[in-house]
Amino acid sequence: MRARHRVAVTGLGVATPLGVTVETFTEALFLGRSGVGPITVFDPGGLSTRIAAEVKDPAVLGLHTDRKVAFARWSAARAWEDATRNGTRPLGEPREASVSLGIGLELFSMDHLVRYRTAGFVPPSAPRERLAFLQVPSDQCLHQIAALVGAHGPPSLHVSACAAGTDAVGQAWRAVASGRRRWMLAGASDSMINPLGVAGFCTLNAMSTRNDDPTRASRPFDRTRDGFVLGEGAAALVLERLDDARARGATVYAELCGYGNSFDAYAITEPHPDGKGALAAMRHALAAADLRPEDLGAVNAHGTSTPKNDPAETLALKALFGERAKQVPVCATKSMIGHLISAAGAVEAVAVIACLRAQRLHPTINLTSPDPQCDLDYVADGPREHPHRYALSCSYGFGGQNAALVLARAEAP
Amino acid sequence: MSALVTAAGRVALGPDAPDDALDPTPWLRNRKSRKYMGVPDELAVVAAGRCLARAGLDPSRDLGPRAGLYLSVAYLGFALDDILPVLDASMDGADFSLDRFTRQGVRKAHPLLTFRCLPNMPSYHVSVNFGVGGPYVTTYPGIGQFHAALEEAMVALDDDQIDLCLVGAVSYQRNFLTAWNLSRVEPAVDPARAWDVGAMLLLEREAHAAERGAPGRRAVLRDVERSYVPFDPEEGFVPSSVPESDGYLGAAADAWALADHLDRGHGADDRTLRTHDGYTVRRVLEVLP
Repeated sequence: MRARHRVAVTGLGVATPLGVTVETFTEALFLGRSGVGPITVFDPGGLSTRIAAEVKDPAVLGLHTDRKVAFARWSAARAWEDATRNGTRPLGEPREASVSLGIGLELFSMDHLVRYRTAGFVPPSAPRERLAFLQVPSDQCLHQIAALVGAHGPPSLHVSACAAGTDAVGQAWRAVASGRRRWMLAGASDSMINPLGVAGFCTLNAMSTRNDDPTRASRPFDRTRDGFVLGEGAAALVLERLDDARARGATVYAELCGYGNSFDAYAITEPHPDGKGALAAMRHALAAADLRPEDLGAVNAHGTSTPKNDPAETLALKALFGERAKQVPVCATKSMIGHLISAAGAVEAVAVIACLRAQRLHPTINLTSPDPQCDLDYVADGPREHPHRYALSCSYGFGGQNAALVLARAEAP
Repeated sequence: MSALVTAAGRVALGPDAPDDALDPTPWLRNRKSRKYMGVPDELAVVAAGRCLARAGLDPSRDLGPRAGLYLSVAYLGFALDDILPVLDASMDGADFSLDRFTRQGVRKAHPLLTFRCLPNMPSYHVSVNFGVGGPYVTTYPGIGQFHAALEEAMVALDDDQIDLCLVGAVSYQRNFLTAWNLSRVEPAVDPARAWDVGAMLLLEREAHAAERGAPGRRAVLRDVERSYVPFDPEEGFVPSSVPESDGYLGAAADAWALADHLDRGHGADDRTLRTHDGYTVRRVLEVLP
């Protein structure tokens, strides 16, 4: 892609298990805190996994009965406040801007299903109640967020599972960099911490069952890992042309430089064992950024703590970096916040930005017995001072959808 | 922006629909994988397989890393038969019991049910059965989102990121959950008219089509106008102006109309659509002589 414009990140908003402001989230990341605990959203009773990383803040949760809608609204509103706090808004006409959102799977309420099937039941007629009954359509918050920020360009809603957040941010980058859009609000939201969601993953035996030691359950690259820990949350980023951002005096947190995605075309839940699809996505992202692997100073891994992902991802990184692989530090945010599924890529982009701004790396926690197949530098020894200009963030989804972003430290004007 | 369209493939089931059975097995590289497939997945694979066959491409050969997939999936459906065993085992009298669900009900779920519910699975099944290794966009759930995916496909071709791509939509509508969703769209849709639909188009760079000697009818698809007005679904959806066909096609309606014109039409199909998800789109598909 011919990138005509450099793309700045000028607004950030989050709702995460480690906090619902960028400041609290960042602080917790560098302290190596875990947001994992017993599930409290519902009583998991007899389910094999009874732990998750939940968002706790009542101000966020009160925004909507559907948690992912609440998280999306919160993070978008905070990002927009952030981007406009100097009293100006991104430049251009409303039709030159749009929203790109990654969203999680809609699940329905079993209680409502019982009522729906009861003879004589009459569904709600008022639009607001009708839309909240049985299942909330996932595109609801897309349109509400577009209205909030006054973005009148056609929006897009991404449902590429664990890659959706990175795809949403990446597509937004592409739109601004190419000149098709002047600015974008990009992000993702998900919550599968509900009976059907948790039960569904339990039936796949995909999640950790370390219920008696939740803060140590998410263990990317560790020999004793036993599956991912489900998390929930959202992140939103305002992206605009760097020139526009400087012209209106906006804070530039980082630059987005490149994006790529690809299919494994291999297996339904397992990544390609050689990591070739992941490698393709990373190479496309670097090519779009006009960078080489040796320009990268750090990687934010997909790092799910599953038996199959972590070694496959390690192989892909080795193929990318060659002999230099062990010199490039790799962080796994999921070690602290779990796997936010569709929201993961967007939240992890914010984590990368935090690291670029601080010129530090957050740790990968719970890595105490490295898997011999995973032998890179995963920043297991605690937060680290680390000057770096470019970082790579990777997300690999169920069904072999792979996506990668390249981000850069903001330069002084 | 414009793109060359070199083939189309469609499948539809429902009252007065052209198909009366849905069978993806001719295109499955591993027939055992059918157990993982739900209706949207089968619709996507059948539509893609028919499209590639019409394009003169061997579906058993990988399309490769310079092939993309841009797919829109309609409101995710759910068959009552899949959830009733779970529900029945979770009841305590007339009420749903969470405790019974976690201890008994969940064990009644088909172990592969999760795979049939994920909105990105149609993309997976197309990618694995036709060897699509390139970029993708997977969007949801209305006609406007089909056009969002189409825009990205056209950009990728124009940027020489890919040589060809499948662009389409699947609508799985004959189930209780989608019937409920359709009742919330204005004007309310009679679920008895709903079809289960898959429609795919093959878009190619002209040089690629020429080099491989692409057979059959061709058309140029031009994206004349695309606009959007934000709205609050909690106040009501946007009244749609999408022309009705024999059945209600949902998110796949315009992909179907484009495929239909490529297959049977002449000249230009110039349409302006206002979709219930807030898009206004004017696109022109001109069949080449």
